Amino acid sequence: MIRALALVALAAFILLPLTQAVMLSFIATLPHDGVPEGSVSLVNYANVLAAPELRAAIGNSVIYVLLNVALCIAIALPAAYALARYRFLGDRHFLLMILVFRVTPPVVLSLPIFILFAKLGLVNSPVGIALVHCLFNLPVAIWILESFIRAVPSEFDETAFLDGHSGASFFFRHLIPAIAPGIGVAAFFCFIFSWVEVVFARILTVTEGKPITTAINAMFGFQTDMGMVMAMTCLSLLPGVAMIWFVRNHIARGFALRA
Amino acid sequence: MRPYNNRAWLLLLPALMLLVAVGALPLMAVINYGFHDIFSLSNVHWIGLDWFSDILQSQRFLASLGRSLLFSALALAIQVPLGIAVALLLLSCGRWAVWGLMLCALPLVVPWNMIPMLWLGLINQDTGILGHWLAAVEFDYKFTALHTWMLLLVMDTWHWLGLVVVLAYAGLSTIPTAYRQAAHIDGASRLAVFRHIELPRIAGGLAIVFLLRFVDSFMIYTEAFAINAGGPGDATRFLSIELGEEINGFSYGQAAARATLYFVMVLIVVCAFVMITRRPEAEA
Repeated sequence: MIRALALVALAAFILLPLTQAVMLSFIATLPHDGVPEGSVSLVNYANVLAAPELRAAIGNSVIYVLLNVALCIAIALPAAYALARYRFLGDRHFLLMILVFRVTPPVVLSLPIFILFAKLGLVNSPVGIALVHCLFNLPVAIWILESFIRAVPSEFDETAFLDGHSGASFFFRHLIPAIAPGIGVAAFFCFIFSWVEVVFARILTVTEGKPITTAINAMFGFQTDMGMVMAMTCLSLLPGVAMIWFVRNHIARGFALRA
Repeated sequence: MRPYNNRAWLLLLPALMLLVAVGALPLMAVINYGFHDIFSLSNVHWIGLDWFSDILQSQRFLASLGRSLLFSALALAIQVPLGIAVALLLLSCGRWAVWGLMLCALPLVVPWNMIPMLWLGLINQDTGILGHWLAAVEFDYKFTALHTWMLLLVMDTWHWLGLVVVLAYAGLSTIPTAYRQAAHIDGASRLAVFRHIELPRIAGGLAIVFLLRFVDSFMIYTEAFAINAGGPGDATRFLSIELGEEINGFSYGQAAARATLYFVMVLIVVCAFVMITRRPEAEA
């Protein structure tokens, strides 16, 4: 009985702010053509999808997040393998370094990163954001993948090499399928941390390539259409919710920290 | 035992290069700027430690530091026990637990600048679901410092509880049922089961939760700024809000010195954390 009450309270606490957003997104908060104010309709979603700058913002966010996930997994896999299977000079220092970069607040680095990326021509480009988000996503990806690779006994590698597999073919044909759930979990965390990040994404997009987060801030004005803002917010939640669904059975593997 | 092989560095090379480019180089630039007075990028003067001594001697800095420490302490004191409790609750739900985990993970995928917006909408006195009741108890986050703090803490808990739950659940779900049965037969109390069976299993996950939550709440910016921009008065002027003001005011030299100080603080916390967590590993 107490357990049921606690679960209900938890669900209410988590869902309450979202409920309000979902409800508002289906209500016309400003009068539109043929839709009186206060009526229930899909006009907000139609307006969001009809606005070219909002469509572009969704596209921009999707591009840099996917780029970031691909980059993080591709770079973290060999690094995680090295850390899981070998000891070497400075391995602990490397782990300490990624930990430090993971916890360095973005505001600390925002100014020089802007200057550096402006010189390299990476401002306003999704590549710039994807690169800079690796700063906090690469460590997380390395920790998660390392803990999954460690769970695979090293005899697994040795058997594959004895069977005559080269390094690359072992990596793609044996290791990656064996730790597929780990790659899923790592991709999940990279995806959400990149999708929700605001500080870097905002300063690195001055004139174009604006992400979804900046686009929503820009919707506030003299007469804000709250319903439309909430419709945009709800749309921005969909990819994250889909990601949660895909990794639901593996999400609780978590990550083990080594430093 | 893992073999010793320095060629493993070749596999680390791409990661290292990327982190140096987007992390180490900008960091060195920040530290360097901190020793200069910067009018524009072409008009820069060396002024040594002036910025640092200015900041460290200012009362406002110390007050912000105190506020940030208090906020982190409160956030950890609320979120860690609550997260463990929720994880234990979910663990007793069998196969429904995965739905609970998905529910708890939901706030993690909300873009950060929309979280304050969702909460401000919720407590809006005219349109919010809770607005009516909050108006009845004279809740006023704009002008009452205590209420602003409560709102920030509730919002932060909403946002990050999922991370604590997921990592605590990850540790708890590895406990074989035989352990619990044995404890039950021995007549161990609930507290003893937690202390001797559950806590050791979640210690690793909790360590990283503690570190991530401490640093993130210590440097809270996006959410805190959107709620009340440091107000009422200076009641929620946290460290990062001060830094944001300086960057927006084009006071780059001072902002860089401040950023360097913050980085040093984070570094000290990380080093302390590593020393504390490494000791039991060495014994094992």
